[in-house]
Amino acid sequence: MAGRSVHQTLIVIRKELRDSLRDRRALFSIAFSIVVGPVLIGFMMNRIADRQREAENVTIPVVGQQHAPAFVEWLRQQAGVTVIEGPSRPEQAVRDGMHDVVVVIADDYAEKFSESRPATIKVVADTSRNSARPSIERVRRLLQRYSAEIGALRLISRGVSPAGVTPLKLEEIEISTAQQRAAQVLSFIPMFIILAAFVGGMSIATDSTAGERERGSLEALLVNPVPRMALVAGKCIAAALIAMTAVVLTTVLCANIPRFLPLQDMGIRFRIGRDEFIGVLAAMLPMCLFSASLQASVATLARSFKEAQSYMGVLVLLPMLPGMISAVSTLGQEPWMYLVPVLGQHVLVMGVLGGRPEALWAFVVAGLIAALSAALLIRTMTTLFKIERIIFGR
Amino acid sequence: MIRVERLQKRFGAVQAVDDVGFEARDGAITGLLGPNGAGKTTTLRMLYGVMRPDAGRIQIDDVDAVASPQQAQSRLGVLPDGFGLYPRLTAREHIHYFGELHGISGDRLRERTEELLQLLDMRAIADRRTGGFSHGERTKVAIARALVHGPRNVLLDEPTNGLDVMSTRAVRTIVRRLRESGHCILFSSHVMQEVSALCDAIVVIAGGKVVARGTPDELRRQTGCSNLEDAFVALAGVELVSEE
Repeated sequence: MAGRSVHQTLIVIRKELRDSLRDRRALFSIAFSIVVGPVLIGFMMNRIADRQREAENVTIPVVGQQHAPAFVEWLRQQAGVTVIEGPSRPEQAVRDGMHDVVVVIADDYAEKFSESRPATIKVVADTSRNSARPSIERVRRLLQRYSAEIGALRLISRGVSPAGVTPLKLEEIEISTAQQRAAQVLSFIPMFIILAAFVGGMSIATDSTAGERERGSLEALLVNPVPRMALVAGKCIAAALIAMTAVVLTTVLCANIPRFLPLQDMGIRFRIGRDEFIGVLAAMLPMCLFSASLQASVATLARSFKEAQSYMGVLVLLPMLPGMISAVSTLGQEPWMYLVPVLGQHVLVMGVLGGRPEALWAFVVAGLIAALSAALLIRTMTTLFKIERIIFGR
Repeated sequence: MIRVERLQKRFGAVQAVDDVGFEARDGAITGLLGPNGAGKTTTLRMLYGVMRPDAGRIQIDDVDAVASPQQAQSRLGVLPDGFGLYPRLTAREHIHYFGELHGISGDRLRERTEELLQLLDMRAIADRRTGGFSHGERTKVAIARALVHGPRNVLLDEPTNGLDVMSTRAVRTIVRRLRESGHCILFSSHVMQEVSALCDAIVVIAGGKVVARGTPDELRRQTGCSNLEDAFVALAGVELVSEE
């Protein structure tokens, strides 16, 4: 009897997979779930890399170039620097966002310079603009370097070693903001992997439950001498298999991100190798069973297919919660988190990708909890499938 | 053989089926006739195990359908009310899916499918997806998948509803063939002509109760009407929608 039920479950799984793989809308949502994470991450990383490059290649508008031809010439010789004629109203130009930064050479520059008095160079900038900050920083450093070089030359010409007036030797160890931002972007990967499970399984979970009822094929299906449990399990497992496929493929895509982006140049350590891949799947595959069963149960409770779809939209927010919380504050890694489906998986995947995988027991506990919750949901749904109000819609 | 005794079903304040009892013999077509909302569909749903009766007995051959609905389902072929198909599956895949759920597989399933495609004259559409089918074609698919396991007893809930003349005739032919091969056929309809043209025995239901049963002749005699339609109106106490 049990063997027959298992066989019938397999028949249902095969039919549901075949049916949904012919459904263009389902295929679209599966493809979307696979691609959205890697593409968004790639896009954001590219922007960060671009901005970093932009900061190194800086265009400096200089007002009053005729007052300091030697300085302007020095600027031109620095790598990545282009000097252009400055605007007539520098402050307005910066305020309007025409330029990130404008350098203004004072009218009395030449006079003061030749007398070895501090000559004025103004840097017009709006530091509240995030995107302008790297350029401003670059210009400021260039000016400081020029100032230091001239100062050293003057001392040498007076027979004094510049070392004497340099009591400190600064060594900067740079933790650049670009790097931090890139690391933050990569921290979205666990969220996108969990999202792939939810979005990937969504369409088939609704179509095989609320959709089947709305089409009127559910009643005919229930006339077959098959235990309701076998039907429900078949539908949930089919949706879970699709969700698992989405998880595997999106992880593969994420693993290939370094191929397309110069992460190494940006000084970022990111790798999804064989071990990380296995770690991600060990955490995620049991959760797919949970997410698919949850979606199928909720869709069964919905009064119509439309209503089921709007519930799915709300459920999709679930996997985003841990990711959002960890974006604004530290989520931490408390043992109780493994007891919460989705949250536990988020923490596990975080650990795996961060290079500090959790202990084996954490994987086992989180996996068991997810599988157990799925079994409970399937049991509940089996009961729902016996309620006449639910079978025939309300 | 189908035997129903004192069947009861209530939805909230409405007693949908009230003390319904009848018998449908093998090798005969039994018509369940009644106006819309009389309780025909609810009665059939209890027979094929998707609704539980509040009280009463249902016997399908020698199986108690209330106690062992799945055993009863193995002996039933059912065309439910407002049956639905899977628009992305072909006609053949529909027959295969239900056949497999009944535990048929391999060569036996393939042979049986061919037999049904032949019987229902649907070879030409066998491997097309049902999404674009006409109502008649969809009805044939639903009948084929209901018969795939070769059930002794066949329940058809308003099978000719909304069909054109050609398809209606095709369905009648199938039903008569099933009778010739000794099946027990229970057939519900609200259309007088349908029932009088096909049935060996008629059970008239109105307001959830059986108001009359017998052969068409017996019903005419019972009511003193020479016309079966008048007899029906007299029995059901309601004006019937006469189609065709």
